[in-house]
Amino acid sequence: MERLAFSRSAPLTMGVELELQLVNSRDCDLTRAASDLLTLTGKQSHPGEIKPEITESMIEISTGIHTRHGPLLAELQTIRDVLLQTAARLNVGIAGGGAHPFQHWSERRIMDAPRMRQVSQLYGYLAKQFTVFGQHVHIGCADGDDALYLLHAMSRYMPHLIALSAASPYYQGVDTAFDSSRLNAVFAFPLSGRAPFVQTWDAFNDFFARMRGAGIIESMKDFYWDIRPKPEFGTIEVRVCDTPLTVERAAALAAYAQTLARWLLIERPHRISEDAYLAYTYNRFQACRFGLEGEFIDAEAGSRRSLAEEVNASLAVLAVHARELESEGALREIAAIVQGGNDARWMREQYAGSGSLPDLVWRQVERLRAGK
Amino acid sequence: MNELFFLPDLRGIGATLPWTALMLLAAVLAGEAVQRWLRLPRLLGWSAVGALLGPHVLGLLDRGALDAMLPLLDLALGVVLFELGQRVDPGWLRRNPWLLGTSVLESALAFAAMCAVLLALGAPPLVAAAAAAIGISTAPAVTLTLVRDLRAQGQVTERLLMLSALNTVYAVVAVGVLLSWLAREHAHDWQAAVLHPLYLIFGSLAAATAFAAATLGLLRLLGRRHDAQFFCILALVAAAVWAADALKLSMALTLLGYGVAIRILDRERLFVALSFGRVGGILLILLFAVTAARIDLGVLATGAVAGGVLVAARVAGKALGVFALAPASGLPLRKASLLALALTPMSAVALVLLHDTTRLYPQLGPSLAAIVISAVAILELLGPLLAQFALVRAGETAEPEA
Repeated sequence: MERLAFSRSAPLTMGVELELQLVNSRDCDLTRAASDLLTLTGKQSHPGEIKPEITESMIEISTGIHTRHGPLLAELQTIRDVLLQTAARLNVGIAGGGAHPFQHWSERRIMDAPRMRQVSQLYGYLAKQFTVFGQHVHIGCADGDDALYLLHAMSRYMPHLIALSAASPYYQGVDTAFDSSRLNAVFAFPLSGRAPFVQTWDAFNDFFARMRGAGIIESMKDFYWDIRPKPEFGTIEVRVCDTPLTVERAAALAAYAQTLARWLLIERPHRISEDAYLAYTYNRFQACRFGLEGEFIDAEAGSRRSLAEEVNASLAVLAVHARELESEGALREIAAIVQGGNDARWMREQYAGSGSLPDLVWRQVERLRAGK
Repeated sequence: MNELFFLPDLRGIGATLPWTALMLLAAVLAGEAVQRWLRLPRLLGWSAVGALLGPHVLGLLDRGALDAMLPLLDLALGVVLFELGQRVDPGWLRRNPWLLGTSVLESALAFAAMCAVLLALGAPPLVAAAAAAIGISTAPAVTLTLVRDLRAQGQVTERLLMLSALNTVYAVVAVGVLLSWLAREHAHDWQAAVLHPLYLIFGSLAAATAFAAATLGLLRLLGRRHDAQFFCILALVAAAVWAADALKLSMALTLLGYGVAIRILDRERLFVALSFGRVGGILLILLFAVTAARIDLGVLATGAVAGGVLVAARVAGKALGVFALAPASGLPLRKASLLALALTPMSAVALVLLHDTTRLYPQLGPSLAAIVISAVAILELLGPLLAQFALVRAGETAEPEA
């Protein structure tokens, strides 16, 4: 059986994918507009890519490969502006956020493409319920072994990224009590969660071959892990973040992940082991449910503290690496999130003020446009 | 004395049958049958039952019964126009001025084409102009019902709703201007010729704004309870229909404007975007059935050619207008052709405008009615078929229920 080759890529490069919501301006419900939008954006030249996603109410933007936070942010802003301009002509609103607050999944229409239809057939209602919107961050790795080291070392920081990005407190018309309800929709997939504890690319290939040989999977796309290797890009892909309400925050989160990666790869501060995963699902739940107020348990160190304290502690050790990567500005934004609250908190405040979920969605649309 | 006195006496029972309820029942069944077995729009079934039971075919519903339902019909049309107005986003025209251009062009070209062919057929200029003005409007009830029934979303759908709202406004204004010209010819009174259309337009808009402001004031007191909002709005729509009639304003303009104004003025989104649900559904069924019942297919004998030509010219004019500005307004040509097809329906609003015209100027009556009613009769079947075809082919309808 063919083995997966891990493409070489420049270490610590990064790229971002963002799934965005398409809503109508009347009642702010999700609307079917992806094909119409793509027809028009396809005729314009812009950096990065604008791509279809599984349903017609969703669109994905992705950046090229970047080494610095500044140019990444500039590219995201350019793509956003192209998209907003086109959407204005079609009277479609574009919003960030991890889930639409009140859409009903039965109303979604699957994109007319073979892969999408196949996924829909296999997963049934899950495919439509999967109308949730995430940010994916790619981090470049020199080789497969490095990628697996980084994957296991980074997994300790998934709760941090979940809590910082959480932007899906409302789902199907109710307050879920979670800061990120989106990840609950991801859990429903059979191959979600964490990657197995294999440390070398050879060992990973053995695992992959066994899974494929047994007929459990066909390709890497069948894994819905929180972090997964992306051998054809030569990256690891962090998939736990909700799409934030602004591309500015998305860029800051990517730069935070990049800076974490540099620290982890250079200083190798944590010993990676299966045991490090002991508290993984507990911490992840805490982050989804309580956001930055959630509790974080370090099973090996035997310590417990709030995720806000955890993030602040990480920012302290990252300072020197941030200087190297010119990501100090991004880390200041991360510190501001810890101080001022994540997007889920902002959304709850808006809803408390107006009492209207459609109104909340429209404020999300305006916030993506304003960028603040 | 009859020992079985408690049994009903069935002689003469026909006179007391609840015809409205029976028509509703038959229409609902026909609608479902048409949808399930023929995969055609439900509203065709509703119309077919109306036409069948009406005075011109079986005669089970006589003119008196139909006239008794007129107030209900006005309310139904009011509800449709209000909802259409409320679905239309005026801000879109600002963000995409080419869409406004499309709307003006498709209406103007359709008007010119219809006028030209009717003149070529030898119709008197006034009749040709009046018929062409009435033909500008795309049936709001048909488009809205289809969009809701098919749960359609997308550019063809949104533009269809926008264009039918706008061309209904143009049609009302064009007919108003035409009528005041007629007034000038007959009364030699310049003042009325100028003031009447102005009163029609600005009076209707003022009434619409007043109703919208009052509604939002009430909603602020009511809060966001959906059912309370619903009853409140239904009552106010009925009041607006009455007010438009009492003040001799345009009902179509007032109700469309009412819906649009609510949307513009509602900055706090107090107004939970609501559809009229089941009650609205009953009104719509009656609207389609009674509209069809009132069409005398006999006019086709004299008007079929003129009506058919009018329909063809109208489709061509609208298509040309939509195509010309499609690239500029951001619509691919494939979707533009589907949008042009979807603009075909012509129904209740056309009959209302016809009624208004012939009431004021009976001398236009027979020849104008023959043309317009023939066109409506042809499009009663063709219009919904083409519009549904367009929405389905555009890929904008919800997936069929399994």
